[in-house]
Amino acid sequence: MTNFLSNKYFQIALRVVLGIVFIYASVGKLFRPEDFAKAILRYEFLPIYFVNIMAIVMPWVEFFTGVLLISGIFKKASSIIASISLVVFLIALISAFARGLDISCGCFSLEETSTKGDIIYRIVQDFFMLAGTIIVYKFSNVKKIQETVSAEEVN
Amino acid sequence: MKTAKQILIIIIIGVLFGLTANAINPKGVPLILEKNIYALDTAKQKKTIDGFVNDPYDTTSKKTSNNMMSGNMNKEGFIEPETITMELAKNLFERNALFVDARNKEEYDSLHVKGSINLPYEEFRNKSIRDRIEIMKKYNKDGVIVVYCRGDKCEVSIDLAYEIARLGFNSVNIYRGGIKEWKEKGFPTQP
Repeated sequence: MTNFLSNKYFQIALRVVLGIVFIYASVGKLFRPEDFAKAILRYEFLPIYFVNIMAIVMPWVEFFTGVLLISGIFKKASSIIASISLVVFLIALISAFARGLDISCGCFSLEETSTKGDIIYRIVQDFFMLAGTIIVYKFSNVKKIQETVSAEEVN
Repeated sequence: MKTAKQILIIIIIGVLFGLTANAINPKGVPLILEKNIYALDTAKQKKTIDGFVNDPYDTTSKKTSNNMMSGNMNKEGFIEPETITMELAKNLFERNALFVDARNKEEYDSLHVKGSINLPYEEFRNKSIRDRIEIMKKYNKDGVIVVYCRGDKCEVSIDLAYEIARLGFNSVNIYRGGIKEWKEKGFPTQP
């Protein structure tokens, strides 16, 4: 299993898929802070003071994280940022669902008017993506480490 | 440690790009949001009824209540829609205001405010200005319009109200209680 998860091509495919999702989700928000701020407000989750700054910065961090995931630069760092953001999104989504907020997710499109089924779908999707980013984090350098270890053993 | 530094670098770059993009964006927002300027829930209730009767279809009529026109002209040159209470919405209903349902057709067909018309926001938004004018030209620009949607936290009523106001309608109002509250109060609905 570890072998498969740390397989070079599997890792690349996983990073590209995750990266595309991150870029796709962020592009529409890069220049629309007001609409994104509204989407964040709907969650009634963040203190109001932080809503705008989140709406300004988060899409760009998401965007660069996506670019780095695809390019393979800063793999560990980008997968950690991706994982943390996904955990935050998950908490926001689950708490919105638990409170029965009938809101649109604001995950990809800022316009979508959605139903609760959509939130469940996003939660599941989020879990899968989180699994992906964790795999990138944990297994992206396994081969290298093993090689280093065996090299040390030889010495 | 190396990873921590890289994380910091990514975040700093994100912050720099975000701040720059926001600064050069004509639709940029203030960094700190002090009050919820986006939601209209907090809008003060300035409008009152003074016994007028509205005719939404009489495009020549100018006899709208002055009190219902108290909205402010904004920088873009149209009169901002305002949020109204359930009581005022009911009052306006009795005075023949034009009720506009911003939800989609299926939702509208299943239940709507009696006599309301359906302008699904999603569709309206995608129409050209000319088409929008075409749709709205049979209604009185000085008449009173009340836009609503599902209720709760639905926002298409706000969005649609702004689009209508942009076309030059002078008294566009948003009833946030929506069909949900309307139905709970037992006010007239169709079908």
